[in-house]
Amino acid sequence: MAPEATLSHLHRADGSATYSHNGYCIIGAVNGPVEVMRRDELPEEATIEVNVRPAAGVGSPKERHLEMLLHNTLRGIILTRSIPRTLVQITLQVRSLPEEETSCGVSPSLIILPHLLHTALLALLSASIPLSTILTSTLIAIPANSSPLTSPTAPDLLRAKPIRSAHVFAFSADGKMLLNESDGTFNFEEWDEAAETAEQVCCRDEGGVGLGEGMEVDGQEGGNLDVWLREVVNKKVQWETRWKSAK
Amino acid sequence: MPREAEISVNEREFIQKALQENIRRDGRDFDAFRPLELTFGDEYGVADVQLGKTRVIARISVDVVAPPPERKFDGVFQIITEFSPMASPAFEVGRPTDAEVILSRVLEKAIRRSNALDTESLCIIAGLKCFALRADVHIVDHDGGLIDASCIAVMAALQHFRRPDVLVEGEKATVLSVRERDPIPLSILHQPLSVTFSYYEEGNIWLVDADLAEEQVRQGEVIVTMNRHGEICQINKYGGAPVDPLDFLNLNNIALQKVKDMSKFIQQKLEEDAKRRDAGGLMAELSAENAR
Repeated sequence: MAPEATLSHLHRADGSATYSHNGYCIIGAVNGPVEVMRRDELPEEATIEVNVRPAAGVGSPKERHLEMLLHNTLRGIILTRSIPRTLVQITLQVRSLPEEETSCGVSPSLIILPHLLHTALLALLSASIPLSTILTSTLIAIPANSSPLTSPTAPDLLRAKPIRSAHVFAFSADGKMLLNESDGTFNFEEWDEAAETAEQVCCRDEGGVGLGEGMEVDGQEGGNLDVWLREVVNKKVQWETRWKSAK
Repeated sequence: MPREAEISVNEREFIQKALQENIRRDGRDFDAFRPLELTFGDEYGVADVQLGKTRVIARISVDVVAPPPERKFDGVFQIITEFSPMASPAFEVGRPTDAEVILSRVLEKAIRRSNALDTESLCIIAGLKCFALRADVHIVDHDGGLIDASCIAVMAALQHFRRPDVLVEGEKATVLSVRERDPIPLSILHQPLSVTFSYYEEGNIWLVDADLAEEQVRQGEVIVTMNRHGEICQINKYGGAPVDPLDFLNLNNIALQKVKDMSKFIQQKLEEDAKRRDAGGLMAELSAENAR
């Protein structure tokens, strides 16, 4: 099932997005480039600030960890050098979580990571922050006694318990791996296979290079994330330039 | 962190001049609220309130803890308001602004201290176990009227929330999951709601539900919290504008009318949501609620 996204729906923030997928709903807002505090100012690049706010309660080390991962990944794709001495402020508010989140046997911070990345990217796009590339991300879970699951829902994970390992991958538009977080026990072959599956889900096939012809078709049908993302942005641009096509 | 952009002198004068001519920027009457929107999610206890462009989400969550030793028969109820840069880049995480302090103080007085929620009903075993209820208020979009919107959101979420049922056998308490027994609503004693009046022109003009620009121009505000029976929970006055004491009587009457309308609106939305959930018509049979 493809994720759902609404762009630029908040009035105060420069860019915003609401993203919902697999029972998660996250509101993202981006302010930027704005004035930066003296102590955070970097002479040659923009400062990026990521705030992850949980649905209930105040931020804990889990949120700080997620913020760090997001910060490091997003710094790689935002053209920070083209907007030096400014601040790009990214706020991600978790609105709802699936009920089974805590009991599905995979670390909650891993399951939510792809969703947070997508929300942050959509909000950045909505705020028109200069980016070098887009990113797509997915979760691969390897259960102990069945085949790997690609971007599983929480009930899926609950049914496939026990989960031996879980991997989150993020890829740029040209198929370069930007982020990998893995949890559990696994060997290199399993990881390699998971990375390949994730790449198929995340990246658009360039045609001709495909390893297995059958897989390509599957990837397209199952909703390729790159294709989905481009569709979302396409719709946004179409809406914003509707004055051009109006007669 | 950038400071909140102050309203320009021209805009300020425009708003003031218009008010002198009995016109509001958006053409509303002086005692009119912006359009109110209330939606509930699939989960229990999440209320999404939209008041004009202001948007507030309240979420209720529950946990089992040991009660504080000085209040053995009470549960714990907390309201947490933390602004995020989502509402405005001027809000910084971990450094509360004045508006945030006032909001949390007013909500505390209006809802918690007025005993809107019967905390004794949250007790499981006296002195050992109780429910800790927390209401998280997330400000998603900020266009003024945060106090009124937050109050509506928290009260609607409290009325929408269902807590899991517990089975007590002597010293042993078992929290029953949603699958085992239908969760029960909280016991709400009354529904306080706030109405904020903004004062202009040395207290000669007042407005209901000012938006952000109007809030920045105002000289003073009076926050009245009451329930639909007209029982006043608190009155707060901030800012320097002088207010005629007799005016308060007038304000209370207007607030009562507004609160009645809003209560009715919340009730109607709650009923709609209940109808939506009760698709098979089995809710009444499943209910584990004790009659009070």
